[in-house]
Amino acid sequence: MKKPLLLLTLLLISFYSFSQKAGSSQDSLLNSLSSDNPKEPVTIFKSTLLVLSQTTETVKKNNLNFLVIHRFGDFAGTNGGGQIFYGLDAVADVYIGFEYGITDKLNIDLGRSTIGRLVNMNLKYALLQQTTDNSSPLAITLVGETGVRTYDSYHAFSDRVSYFAEAIFARKFSSEFSLLVAPSFVRDNTPIPFTVGNTQHFLSLSAAARFKITKHMGFIIDYAHPFSSFRSTANGFHDPLGFGLEMETGGHVFTINFTNSRAISEINYLSNTQSAYSKGEYRIGFTISRMFDFNHKKQY
Amino acid sequence: MKPLLIIIFTLISIIPPGKDFYICKNAKISLYSSSPLEDIKGVTTSGASVYNPDTQELDFSVTISSFQFDQALMKEHFNTDYLESDKYPRAVFKGTIQQSIDITKDGTFPITVTGDLNVHGVTQKRTIPGTFTIKNGAITVASEFQVKCIDHNIKIPQLVFHNIAESIKMNVVATYIEYKK
Repeated sequence: MKKPLLLLTLLLISFYSFSQKAGSSQDSLLNSLSSDNPKEPVTIFKSTLLVLSQTTETVKKNNLNFLVIHRFGDFAGTNGGGQIFYGLDAVADVYIGFEYGITDKLNIDLGRSTIGRLVNMNLKYALLQQTTDNSSPLAITLVGETGVRTYDSYHAFSDRVSYFAEAIFARKFSSEFSLLVAPSFVRDNTPIPFTVGNTQHFLSLSAAARFKITKHMGFIIDYAHPFSSFRSTANGFHDPLGFGLEMETGGHVFTINFTNSRAISEINYLSNTQSAYSKGEYRIGFTISRMFDFNHKKQY
Repeated sequence: MKPLLIIIFTLISIIPPGKDFYICKNAKISLYSSSPLEDIKGVTTSGASVYNPDTQELDFSVTISSFQFDQALMKEHFNTDYLESDKYPRAVFKGTIQQSIDITKDGTFPITVTGDLNVHGVTQKRTIPGTFTIKNGAITVASEFQVKCIDHNIKIPQLVFHNIAESIKMNVVATYIEYKK
């Protein structure tokens, strides 16, 4: 009789434990039902533009980003100082631009700079997005840009044209820190500046980082180095370096920055930055962007 | 051996057959906030819910990043600034229906569900009203309730242009299918 009794006890225990489990199995069932879509793309930067560099971020489909970028005159040095209110009385460069999302990943941008009266058109494509599950650890965005100097006299139209191609690699390492590295190629059909010894094309490397300060504010640092023997310190050239404070206020992103670069467009500042921090030739600048969304009244 | 067999069969017959769970993995959950500048509407159709007719337990779970908004920036702000979905990926409600319901009869019944609502990592004890509908064996639960941002430590910065109301209106509709254990 001993064996059946044991069996019976075991049976009872198993029934008991089965009924006890009901509660926790409901939890695991709920967990299995909720899909955590692990492959969400990561937003690496808050804006499409830092101080100097474009970021891997694109404007979403049917969104239009309106940009006003301003660089003032020299803060200090021979052309700066109190008499021009630390540069605020002067304009080094103004850029008015639009960025439009053809798709979530493909943007067309149009802009115009004061320097060189350069009108530029870009195509920007997000080739790869960093994902939350790290199956893609970084983002890659390609930029192709054509710039045309619209005034001054040139022999042929092609002499007015410059090209800029860039591959931007970026990663958000933590919620506090994002980094981008971007090799690029610049081609100026007419060398900028147009002096003896300058070349029509050169390679360049940019690096920029964003450090989160608060949820809506970040510190950005931005640097570029053109690989061009002509663009040496001896010839009066200096690498562009910028620092900025990026503030996000709903649909606006506002950046106030300091940089030695006068120009805003990559074609201009990579080709021709001859202002140096050491000579007080740095300036206050700002970027204002406003995002417009034409996806209203979507049905759901 | 015979008595043993009898005992076993009796036991089996005494233990009530466990009723099946009812599950829903496409619950429609929407949020609505009106503000002076623009209304904020978000919706997801991938909410998960489990209803246990034995215990009257009714649980919900929703992935924060699954909410879709009619503006890309709103979704971005919702996830990174307000609900911090990288830290708190889900909102979960675990409750018990206070009324007893006979799921074999068709009809619509008002219910109140009492339990814990966890949003943004903060749990609040809530009693939420709703309706429970049975039609040809299909169960639908619907509810409308408010979630106060302050209750769940969701901070709304002063700097933000399109201010968000202090309280968000939530709307939930879930239709269940039977789940065989």
